[in-house]
Order: sequence, then C-alpha cells, then structure tokens
Amino acid sequence: MLSIKQLTKAYGAHTVLDEIDLEIATKDVVAVIGPSGSGKSTLLKCINFLEPYQQGEVRFEGQCVGYREAAGKRREASDRVINRQRARIGMVFQNFNLFGHMSVLDNLIEGPIQVLHEPRASAIERAERLLDKVGLLDKRDQRPSRLSGGQQQRVAIARALAMRPSLMLFDEPTSALDPELVGEVLATMRQLAEEGMTMLIVTHEMEFAREVATRVVFMEDGRIVEENAPERLFVSPENPRTRAFLARVLRHHGHHNHNGAR
Amino acid sequence: MQYEWQFHLIYNYWPVFARGALATLEITLGATVLGLLIGLPVGVMRTARSPWLRLPFSIYVEFFRATPALVQIVWLYYCFPILFGFKLDATATVIVALGIHSGAYIAEIVRAGINAVDRGQFMAARAIGMPYIKMLRRIILPQAIEKMIPPFINEFANLMKLSTLGSMIAVYELLQESNNLIATIYRPLEVYTFLALVFFVITFPWIWLSRRLENRMRQSA
Repeated sequence: MLSIKQLTKAYGAHTVLDEIDLEIATKDVVAVIGPSGSGKSTLLKCINFLEPYQQGEVRFEGQCVGYREAAGKRREASDRVINRQRARIGMVFQNFNLFGHMSVLDNLIEGPIQVLHEPRASAIERAERLLDKVGLLDKRDQRPSRLSGGQQQRVAIARALAMRPSLMLFDEPTSALDPELVGEVLATMRQLAEEGMTMLIVTHEMEFAREVATRVVFMEDGRIVEENAPERLFVSPENPRTRAFLARVLRHHGHHNHNGAR
Repeated sequence: MQYEWQFHLIYNYWPVFARGALATLEITLGATVLGLLIGLPVGVMRTARSPWLRLPFSIYVEFFRATPALVQIVWLYYCFPILFGFKLDATATVIVALGIHSGAYIAEIVRAGINAVDRGQFMAARAIGMPYIKMLRRIILPQAIEKMIPPFINEFANLMKLSTLGSMIAVYELLQESNNLIATIYRPLEVYTFLALVFFVITFPWIWLSRRLENRMRQSA
C-alpha cells in the first residue's frame, strides 16, 4: 500500500531524511520511534506531501506521491492530483489542529462535503457515527476550544476517519497532552488498529508501540537504524544505537504506565 | 499675547461645517470601499507560495506605501488626464487616489491577519486535500478576519484625516470649506481650532472602537 524507496530530503546543507526505505502493507501498524530531530515527523509529512522531498520516492497505492515524470525529469504533480492523494491519507497532528471557528460536527463534515463532495446528510450521519465511536457524540455542537486536549485529539482522529482514508498517519498524537489524558487517545488508536486500519505512528509511547504495533522502526539522524517486530526490537535490539536509545528512554518513561487499553 | 477668541462668529456658519463633514464622510467611505475591494485580493495574493505570483502585488503595496498620498492625488488629478486623455472630477479623484492608497495598507492588514492564523490550521486543511483557495475561504479567512477588524477600523480613521488632502485640488471637504470661511469672516484661529475639534469628534470614536475591540480580543485569546 505504501512503499518508500531511497527517500531523501534536505534543508539546504542539512540532510533531514537520508535514503529511507520503508514498506507498509494493508493492516500494518508501524510505530516510528527515535530521538527528537531524527526526522520522524518530516518522514510523515513527506508521505502526504506536506513537505516536498528531493530524491527517492513515496508510492501510495501504486502512485508516486507529489511528483510525476515528464520527459525523464521529475516535476511536481498538479495540485489536483496531490489533493486527491492527500484525501486518501488521514493525518493526526501533535497539536490537534481542529478548525477553531467550527463546531465539532462541522470539523468532521468539512472534508467530506468540501473535498469529497458528499451530500450533507450522509456526511453528518457518518460524522455522528464516528463521534459516537470515539465517545464524544454529546460534544457535537461544541467549539473545539471547550474540549480537553484528549477530547480534541479524539475529535481530530474522527475528523481524519471521516475522509475514509486507507492509511492513517499519527504525528506524536499524545505528546501535547497532560499525562492523565494520554490513555483515552491511545485507547482510541488501539481500537482503530484492532479494526484493521493501516497506521503509521510517530510516538514516544514505548509501551503502546510494543503492544499495538506490528512493526517498530527506530530512526536516528534521518536514517532508519533498525526495523523489527516489537518483541524483537524492544527485547533484543540488534543495533547498539537502538539499545542505547531504549536504555535512555525506558529509564525515563518506565515509571509511568498509561495503560490506555482499558 | 492676548487673543480675544470669538467663537460665536462661527456659530452662524455651522452649515458650512456640516456640509464639509458630509463631503469628508463621502470621500472616506468611498475610499474605504475601494480600498477593501483592492486590499482584500491583493493581501491574499501576497501570501501566495510562488514568488512570481507575489511580485506584482508586492510592487503595488510597496510603491503606494512609499509615496505620499498627496503626491498620488495631485498626480492623478494633473498628470493622468494628460497621459490618458481622461479626467475625473476633483471629488472622484480624491476617492480613487485615496482608495488605491489605502488599498496598499489594507492589503498589509489582510496579509498580517492571514499570517497570524496558526500554521497548524493550514496543515490540517491541506492534509484533508483541500485546494488552496478553498482553504483560504473556508478555514483561514474566517479566522483571520477577527484579527483584521481593529487595524481596519484604524485605517478608516486614518482615511478620514487624509481626506483633507482633497483641499489641494479644491474638493469641498472640511478643510476646504474652512479655508473659504476664513476668507469670508477673517477669523483663522477660531475656524482652524473649531475644525480640529470637528475632526476629533468624527475620528476619535473609531480609534476608540478599534482599541476596544483589540483589547477584547486579547482578553478572549
């Protein structure tokens, strides 16, 4: 479904992503971990072309994201093509980024109506079902600013799902939350994974990555250092740099357990 | 020096000031509407991603902000007809010149308002595949307009004062009416003092409103 080959991105002389290779199949749940500044967020933003990249390619459902070949040269694809690709990929941000001037419900129907040109009635019907699913149907007419961070992030997840994406990207979805609100968001994501959604999650929640991910990718300095099943990567990491990183964060995070499952 | 103020002389001439104030208001409103029609699209275009698309609009904004409104009025009144063989009457000239002038400032207000919207709102709109223009219209501008209102009202008050430049080409706004009155009653001190008061009375409420809205926004933010 998603195939990343030799993806390279630089800001001037500074290489942010260095020859990234990553394959994601349908129903995969891939967690990306690594120190801040390792390029994890940038990787996500290249996948839906919020960030352009210089070399390599991102293929989503068989189609190159953001670029087209013309006479042997690479050209940026038209806005229409890029927007159609983005509409198939859901994204959840660290800071939620709900539309502040709209009600919760309007946040959910905005994309389906304005981008997918769906009839209003069916968009509302699905939006209400999704709000019910994330447990926030009673907030449908509220402004996002009246909600807690955890609630806002669950609305943001529902907003992304309202577009019926085939892939969901999560960019540190719990990093801006107070610790007591992390659990409810992780529970929603866990439920989504169990339903078979294909997910790529940049996270610092090691416990969650270990329990929910089908694969874990460790990134450092713009490269993928190690990619493995969670039980392998967390228990017996092959690369010494992975080991060093895990030793560092597990010592830090080990004492609190959010237990988002229940 | 002892000056004997004789404000009662002015009292009989209040219709002169009323007429002048109406003309001032007409110029201000006309220029504001024109300024908005120009400033809104220009401000939006100034946020375009392509530098080539931005360039002509940047040139317009910088040129009209870096030249005096008075020169723009005089140029439009005396030079434009010679070059293009088409002459506007004096009032229309002032309205058009000040409209183009304030368009540049309003464009800056619009641009600043758009830039003040959280970058995350742009990202979220792009991530659901929203086209650029639709994103501005549905997501960004509704949130930017609130931030644009106080400086915009301020600009309206500025235009009210700038309308006095119309007297340079004999438009009968407040200043011109006052000059004529002085020629009749020979009391420049009273007339100009009273003129200043009239301007204060019609301008200050807008400045006050602008500040009030700004404070209220800061509190709710």
